[in-house]
Amino acid sequence: MKLTALSACIVLATSIAGCASPERSRNMANPNTSAQTLAAQVCSNCHGLDGNSVSPNFPRLAAQQKNYVVEQLKGFRSHNRSDPAGFEYMWGLSRSLTDSQINGLADYYARQQPLAAATADDGRVSSGRDLYQQGIPAQSVPPCMSCHGAEGKGSEQFPRLAGQHANYLVKQLTVFQRTDERPEGSVMKVVAHGMTLSDMEHVAAYLQTR
Amino acid sequence: MMQHNRHHTPSMPTITWTWIVSGITFLLAILPGYAHAIPVFARQTGQNCVACHAGGQFPELTPYGRIFKLTGYTLGERTVPLSVMGVASATKTKNTDDNVQGGNPRADFPKDGNAILAGGSVFLAGKITNNIGAFIQHTYDNYSEQSASDSHWKGHTHSDNVDIRFADRFIDPNRDLIVGLNVNNNPTVQDVFNSVPAWGFPYQTGLSATQPGFDPKIASLGQNVAGVGAYVYLNQHVYAEVAAYRAADRGIWSWMSQGITTEQMSMVKGLNPYWRIALTHEWGPHNIMVGALGMTTTQYNDPVARDSGDTDKFRDLGLDAQYQYLLDPHAVTAQVSYIRERVSYGLAHNSSNASAFFDATGTISQHDFNDNDTLKFLKAKVSYSYHAKYGASLAYFNITGNTNSMNQNAGFDDTGELVPAGNHTGNLSGSPDTRGMVSEVFWTPIQYVRVGAQVTAFSKFNGASTNYDGFGRNAKDNNSLFLYVWAAY
Repeated sequence: MKLTALSACIVLATSIAGCASPERSRNMANPNTSAQTLAAQVCSNCHGLDGNSVSPNFPRLAAQQKNYVVEQLKGFRSHNRSDPAGFEYMWGLSRSLTDSQINGLADYYARQQPLAAATADDGRVSSGRDLYQQGIPAQSVPPCMSCHGAEGKGSEQFPRLAGQHANYLVKQLTVFQRTDERPEGSVMKVVAHGMTLSDMEHVAAYLQTR
Repeated sequence: MMQHNRHHTPSMPTITWTWIVSGITFLLAILPGYAHAIPVFARQTGQNCVACHAGGQFPELTPYGRIFKLTGYTLGERTVPLSVMGVASATKTKNTDDNVQGGNPRADFPKDGNAILAGGSVFLAGKITNNIGAFIQHTYDNYSEQSASDSHWKGHTHSDNVDIRFADRFIDPNRDLIVGLNVNNNPTVQDVFNSVPAWGFPYQTGLSATQPGFDPKIASLGQNVAGVGAYVYLNQHVYAEVAAYRAADRGIWSWMSQGITTEQMSMVKGLNPYWRIALTHEWGPHNIMVGALGMTTTQYNDPVARDSGDTDKFRDLGLDAQYQYLLDPHAVTAQVSYIRERVSYGLAHNSSNASAFFDATGTISQHDFNDNDTLKFLKAKVSYSYHAKYGASLAYFNITGNTNSMNQNAGFDDTGELVPAGNHTGNLSGSPDTRGMVSEVFWTPIQYVRVGAQVTAFSKFNGASTNYDGFGRNAKDNNSLFLYVWAAY
């Protein structure tokens, strides 16, 4: 009886609270759920509330270029982007996003402040800096900074790379180089063509410290 | 403490491995390589199993999977809330000859050496409202009981794990607070870590594989109780929960114990408190949890005639920890759990009961039953999974406790004759000490099919490594090889 009474109270409390606030919805099928709410209730689970993800399994999105985030979310939604990180985690979550929600999410992340970059002082970082700034002419690898900017902040056309998890950058460079799973980034297939795995790791180590 | 009772005998027609292999081949042929996951939670989020299950190893949860559960299974889109799961398996025990113990090998090791369809589950699960979700499992056990007349096996459906939640999340740059209420029928089934009894390794066990004879009470109440609890998870660092459990024997609670008769029930008395605290931290690809939990259970010694009020009291205190390294394509997970149980026995089990056994001369009776016991249960496990496809696990378990003549089911009678237990689980010493390892390799060709091979190896059983029952049976005779094919849709 005691437990039944307790449960009755809970059902009552639940019913009252059940008039769920749309500001705290995790409903991905509702086009009226705001981008701010989605970012907090859903996206933050992997990417962090401020877009500074903890796990290198998930890219940092803080201060990412808006156009890039829009393009990626639409690429996930249309299954145009089909690398493992895309289809395993993002196809489903993006399937019902409206263009308006996508724009809102991209705005949200563009506004976030990136965390201070990790510091590292090993040979890979200085070698990666050289690669980033000068490319590897002998291997026909152009300087990354020519598109992504001197500080790696990106531009309207190109994504921000500064402060990104090195592991994520290496994985994506590998995807560009070896697959056609990211057709929107086909220009990177040419760029990454001449890079060795070691080159990728060095430039990624450098960018993670930016 | 709880002594397992198993009583089976063979007879359902067996299926052959040819059918199993054909079935897998068929599934592989018709299912796309990276389709949306099928089980209902994956349908709801549209994500692959690996998003929530570490290295794709159901039921181990990633940090994201834990949030998904703690927010009440409400993330995603409402969908058809049904899934099904089935397991085909075969178990081979090292030594099934227990004739000398007065046993019947075909009954005591049911279907040993045969491929069987052990059973399956239907899940009613997923998002109900923006704040309410559920995980309700109903299971069909193909080898539930034997007909007394012709010893044919009969299938039986029963309520399985139930976890219904209301949850909300208040998150802003200053705090992240998840609060929830929960109704469940198995202490720790509501937990999100894989170091607790309800979700601990091994995740599958063979029908005829011998298991340790002792479990802590907190691990033995599933589908016998109904509980209501409340929890908070603050800043993804501190998890705390309190709950109370009562018998799921009647009224609005009885559906949670459907399939269990009153006579079979572990009938707890009144409300039995449960608490849990866990501290979590995530850095880079690593995350760690250290926690503690406890439950005090008062259980009637006679589930039917409760008027006598005779009860045993169990005080369980557990410490546990979990570590995960999750960086695709690698997943390393490790859990350790230590549960200490103190038992105070009522009239049916306390020192007013004389032992049924004597010393080897048949003249001196063994000690009376104990008034109190202390048992300690240690489990540790580490797993590695690659690409959520190939994996291996290694686990260690060690049960220790004081000797109690109540645990004896084999020994000398008053003429000095050795009396066997009637099966291979004889206990000559009265000691619960049981120790061993479980190792497993698995292959997940597609995310809703898993093929596994598991070896259980005992170095001690019921208090001894050799001759634990007085009839020459050794702990390692209970070693088993278990092969399974698990599929969910």
